[in-house]
Amino acid sequence: MIELRGVEKIYRRGAEELHALRGIDLDIAKGEFLSIVGPSGSGKSSLLHILGCLDRPTKGTMKFDDLNVEHMSETELDGIRSRKIGFVFQQFYLMPGLSVFDNVTLPKVFSRQKIDVDKIASLIATVGLHNRMKHFPNQLSGGEMQRVAIARALANDPEIVLADEPTGNLDTLNSEKIFDLLRSLHRKGYTIVMVTHNNDLASRADRTVLLKDGLQTAA
Amino acid sequence: MVFLRLAFQNLNRHRTRSLLALFGIATSVAVLFSILSFNKGFEKGLAKELERTGIHFMVVPSGCPHEVASLVLHGSIIPKYLDLAVMDKITILEGIEFASPILVAQLPNPAQKRVDLVYGIEMAKLLQLKPHWKIQGAVPKDDTEIILGAEMAGHQGLKVGDTVAYPNVNASFRVSGILEKTGSQDDAFIYMPVKAAQAIFKRPSGATAVGVKVKDPALLTTITDGLAEQVPGIQIVTMNQVMSSISTLAASAKVLGLSVAIIAILVSAVGVMNAMLMSVFERTQEIGMMRAIGAPRSDIFRIILVEGMLLTMAGGLAGILVSVAGNDLIGLFVRRIMPYAPAGSMARFDAGIAGASLLFAVLVGVCSGVYPAWKASRIQPIEAIKG
Ligand SMILES: Nc1ncnc2c1ncn2[C@@H]1O[C@H](COP(=O)(O)OP(=O)(O)OP(=O)(O)O)[C@@H](O)[C@H]1O
Ligand SMILES: [Mg+2]
Repeated sequence: MIELRGVEKIYRRGAEELHALRGIDLDIAKGEFLSIVGPSGSGKSSLLHILGCLDRPTKGTMKFDDLNVEHMSETELDGIRSRKIGFVFQQFYLMPGLSVFDNVTLPKVFSRQKIDVDKIASLIATVGLHNRMKHFPNQLSGGEMQRVAIARALANDPEIVLADEPTGNLDTLNSEKIFDLLRSLHRKGYTIVMVTHNNDLASRADRTVLLKDGLQTAA
Repeated sequence: MVFLRLAFQNLNRHRTRSLLALFGIATSVAVLFSILSFNKGFEKGLAKELERTGIHFMVVPSGCPHEVASLVLHGSIIPKYLDLAVMDKITILEGIEFASPILVAQLPNPAQKRVDLVYGIEMAKLLQLKPHWKIQGAVPKDDTEIILGAEMAGHQGLKVGDTVAYPNVNASFRVSGILEKTGSQDDAFIYMPVKAAQAIFKRPSGATAVGVKVKDPALLTTITDGLAEQVPGIQIVTMNQVMSSISTLAASAKVLGLSVAIIAILVSAVGVMNAMLMSVFERTQEIGMMRAIGAPRSDIFRIILVEGMLLTMAGGLAGILVSVAGNDLIGLFVRRIMPYAPAGSMARFDAGIAGASLLFAVLVGVCSGVYPAWKASRIQPIEAIKG
């Protein structure tokens, strides 16, 4: 589904060049549950930007569903993101002024799709919050907020869910629960990629990619 | 709808900051709205009052035209007197329907510890001069009777048939009639036969002015020109002159006020822009997230723009409400700075002006929101995943 070949990411700060990724080859198959780990500054976030079509590689190619992404326009990338990718962030990023239900519908609003109330409700039930639909984010616990964010990531029926340290702001118990939720989504057929600092959780994924200095090393 | 709530949510998140920006807009819109409303009410009131006086021009001693204007409409005191010998010269002119002397003066009333305002007039011509008056009781038959303005009568609890005495000038009068409330300053006067007033003020042939009505208003200029030629030392003020001299003054006051309003609006627009830039900057990650989950740039632009419009619209509404609530206060202020102000409430609520002010506020919102909205739309989706 995703195919990276020789992907490099170079950040330029004035005259200084910073190689965040130095040639990554990576294939992600449909239905995989992949974790990405590595020390701080090893390039995890940079890789996730490229996998999520948030950014283009400086060098190398990336194919998403056999489409070459590296030369796509911003609008085309917007389209791919909203149709094919669901994002889960470390800081949840729920909109405080919107109810749980409306937060989950947000991707549909942005992609101008009709809102199927029953479908959204069943998504919210999937993450175990069917009795919190009318609540607002400030009435939820951290774990519950991340569940809402996961439901939101699923709103547009994505092919892949990219999670950036989804448990980074949660305690152990809630981290377990979120991980279990991701795993259950995986069982339902979703492709899941998770960046994490938690080696224990990472090792329980199907496959682990270990980054070091912008290069993939054997796990 | 969701965009509106998102915009509202963002304003609500920094309530103090939003309120400060809103306050600025409210103040400047209040100024704008007040000026526009008062200007309209002022001109309307002026035209209406001039239409109500039954005279075409006034003959007065040479002097300040503003004083004359006030005299014509409210009977303010002019220290100069006219010799009534001019009356004869006026009445013999061709085309005069009537001419009536008017003597306005202050009369101390020791019993009430106040100074009464006396308006001496020829009672036979009273209803011609003041065609819109409604009087309870009767017009004075002789020089011992007077009519009281409603306020005057109410203030001293006087009724038709009562006696008002001025021992200081050896005079006393029977109230023959009371003028029904007019809502103008006519309510504050004592109307007495001009002969009686002349006796009290020891000006046997003096008057403050002579009010003249002509038979054919088309011949007005011919008549006034002729009169000015024949009688030296007088000034002739036509109602049109009064009207335009006051209007000119009102117009320059309006220009001044509008410039103040425009400056206030500019300052508050900068305030709105600043508040919005700050909030866009603080929300960089959140906006990045919206972009990441599929929001096109145009949507981000729209949300921020709506935010600015919401803010200024709320400010505009608040400003209009404040202005309407403070209507009477502003009226007092206008009365103090203008030599003449029409009676009654000047600023009648005008939906058109309110709509225009609100529209203007929203326009300010759009203008000051464009830059922050553009800034926000440039935020990259990778901002959602940093670090
Ligand atoms: N926008 C940027 N401009 C310049 N350098 C950057 C930028 N983003 C990342 N880098 C650098 O690229 C390298 C890789 O960063 P990246 O964020 O991908 O690491 P990471 O593995 O996610 O680290 P962490 O575990 O701390 O989140 C780092 O040295 C970082 O300083
Ligand atoms: Mg990172």
